[in-house]
Amino acid sequence: MPETILKPEELQPVTELARKTLEQLDRILLGRRDLHRLVLIGILSRGHILLEGLPGLGKTALVRTIGQILKLDFKRVQFTPDLMPGDVLGSHILQETASGKRELVFQPGPVFTNILLADEINRASPKTQSAMLETMQENSVTLLGTTRDLPQPFFVLASQNPIELEGTYPLPEAQLDRFLFRVMFDNVDVDVLNQIISERRRGELPPPTWQMERADLQTLFQTMGKIYLPRPVSHYIARLVSATHPGAVEATGPVNSYVSYGASPRAAIAIAEAARANALVAGRPSVGFEDVKTVAPPVLNHRLILNYQARFDRMTPSKLVGELLDQLDETGLNLPKDVELAKV
Amino acid sequence: MNHSHASALQSFARNLQWLLTLRLAVQLATVWFFTWGVVILALRIFGVQNIYWLTMGLFAVAPLALVASWRAKKQRAPLTKIRASYDHINACGGIIMSAETLDADAWMAQLPRIAAPRLRWRSGRAFLLLMSSAVFVMITLLLPNRLTHFPGHRLEIGQIVQQLKAEVNVLAQEKIIDPQKSAELQKQLSQLQDDSLGYDPAKTWEALDHIKQSDSDEAHQAAQEALDKTTSLAEAETLAKAMEQAADSGMNATTASQAAQDLASMLSAAKLDDGLLNAQIPPALLAGLTGLNKEQMEKLLQGLEANKGLLSMDVSNLMNLKMIDAATLAKLEAAGLCENPDALADYLSTCTNCDNALLCMRLGKGGPGGGGPGAPMTWSDGASEKDLKFQEHALPPSPHLSQAQLIGVSKAAPQLAGSDISAQHGALDNAAAAGGAANARVILPEQRQAVQTYFKRDN
Repeated sequence: MPETILKPEELQPVTELARKTLEQLDRILLGRRDLHRLVLIGILSRGHILLEGLPGLGKTALVRTIGQILKLDFKRVQFTPDLMPGDVLGSHILQETASGKRELVFQPGPVFTNILLADEINRASPKTQSAMLETMQENSVTLLGTTRDLPQPFFVLASQNPIELEGTYPLPEAQLDRFLFRVMFDNVDVDVLNQIISERRRGELPPPTWQMERADLQTLFQTMGKIYLPRPVSHYIARLVSATHPGAVEATGPVNSYVSYGASPRAAIAIAEAARANALVAGRPSVGFEDVKTVAPPVLNHRLILNYQARFDRMTPSKLVGELLDQLDETGLNLPKDVELAKV
Repeated sequence: MNHSHASALQSFARNLQWLLTLRLAVQLATVWFFTWGVVILALRIFGVQNIYWLTMGLFAVAPLALVASWRAKKQRAPLTKIRASYDHINACGGIIMSAETLDADAWMAQLPRIAAPRLRWRSGRAFLLLMSSAVFVMITLLLPNRLTHFPGHRLEIGQIVQQLKAEVNVLAQEKIIDPQKSAELQKQLSQLQDDSLGYDPAKTWEALDHIKQSDSDEAHQAAQEALDKTTSLAEAETLAKAMEQAADSGMNATTASQAAQDLASMLSAAKLDDGLLNAQIPPALLAGLTGLNKEQMEKLLQGLEANKGLLSMDVSNLMNLKMIDAATLAKLEAAGLCENPDALADYLSTCTNCDNALLCMRLGKGGPGGGGPGAPMTWSDGASEKDLKFQEHALPPSPHLSQAQLIGVSKAAPQLAGSDISAQHGALDNAAAAGGAANARVILPEQRQAVQTYFKRDN
């Protein structure tokens, strides 16, 4: 924990970097400002992001653009049922050396990059999906007893189609838990669509006019560690995650009715990190309650395991998290219901 | 921390504490008022009607305020949470919270000038409940007594109480009891009517019986007194009238003086101005009884008559309320009447030595040939024993021993069936003996009427 808070003159240049990044994203990809902000927060938090949406909404374009702006390596893998782990992680192949000997040489897979777009990740077999587990959590690949670190930074931006379920393998909860965010790709409105048609012939994206240097990205990561998380806010995050478990002290009625398993401690860590990143992007040296409320839905909505009753009642994790955020008192002051605080 | 923020934070904490204390006090007062009202209602239903003591519960509000203050202080939120609320409500992004542990003055200076958050208490429901509870207490205090008693458990004594009140009024009007005692009895009767409960009637009935007996005793005492005084007045009137007539017929001075002395002693012995019912005769007349002229005698007679009338009216009033029976009134009307006052006047005019005139007037009843014990007193046509003879009756024969039946032989003394010994056959049939069997005197049938008349006589 930092003993001094960041000074305005220290934070301002870093915030400017984030602002420029967002500006570039918003300029290149139209109509998704909030989504861009969330993706940037996810990257600053060094988390992996699961993009969920229909085809053609710009998932690949988003990942490619981020790679361009951040000057990071970008690779894309289209997941299919016959995709093997070696196709993703890499494999050893027999090669003849200059001396005429033959030896097994490791041929790195597409995972050895900075940003990996795992397109339609739910179409791969569980064997291949589980091969991603180590890479996502440990940022390394172990093959034939040899562990190889992945290049840093390393992000997985996976996508999945929510409507085509035939021939898919839904991601297990353990793997879902490794994604920092699950972000929903919604359709853009008519004005944005009109602007896309008018300004993007054949869908070609304009090149970024500004790119972030590697050193700047490192500065961003370092500054993230200096964002102060006040004790009441961390307490709020802990209470929030605890309240997602049925039977908890502050669990709401819907949580008790519909949730089988709540969020893990990894979720609490994810909320804290994402809230720090949100504060950084907003240009503040400390995390506030609003930061938590902003990042909590994408962190929690894929971590709650609902029961069958929730399916019958058409209850979704997003609704549950929304109700929880509305009902849980942020400060823990627990004022009576008939007493309200209002800004003067 | 910036001074303005520090003062705003302190102000916010202080306001929050006051608001929570007030809210708790209102809640406690509401609960207390409802509880107090229920207790008042229960106590009034069970007979406690002293409103003064019931209102003492109002003084519990002060301890309640202290309790509310103490509890609110004990439940006071830590300053960290208050600071967090302050930060959150003003959208300070955690800077105020950070300033608790870190030096954030540079950022505080950039924050806009903010004031303490405004606390809003939706107090409508709380104050409505408080007012309702207060009104409830007022209603329970001001509820009429008749509504705090269960109708089925009331003791219906209204008619009896009204009767007794009327009796007390009559006794007071007739000055048989003094006004103070009358007021006290009226108050007791009213309280009895209010306090009477059906599930415990003994106390009420006992009190009512006591008052009724007291009234009855007073009435009987007054009636007896009226009877005695009326008797004296009637006798005095008879004597006075006889004196007046005798004076016209030439009563000598000695007899007149003796009769006047008898009249004076008669009125003096009657003690007309003592007791419950006073009779008023002008003292000048009473003082000059020995030398009354005809006009004064008329005034005396009028006074005597008026007093008799007043006494009769008093007793009539008592009888109207059935405090005394009609026989008493009849006795009063017949008290001291002389059936033949002219004979007394003749006696006085002809008598030369009338020492026992008064005695003769009072005791002269019956006499030989007067028609038996119930014969009226007469002062003329003296009784004569001429042609009187006893009628002979032949006694029926007693049962012969031969007609007796032997039932059994006992060595013990014969036992009587009852305490009375009565003859079963012959002339002594159904004749009962009074007292011991050995000394029983047999009353013959022809003597029975005389004996019964003797025992029915008035002394």
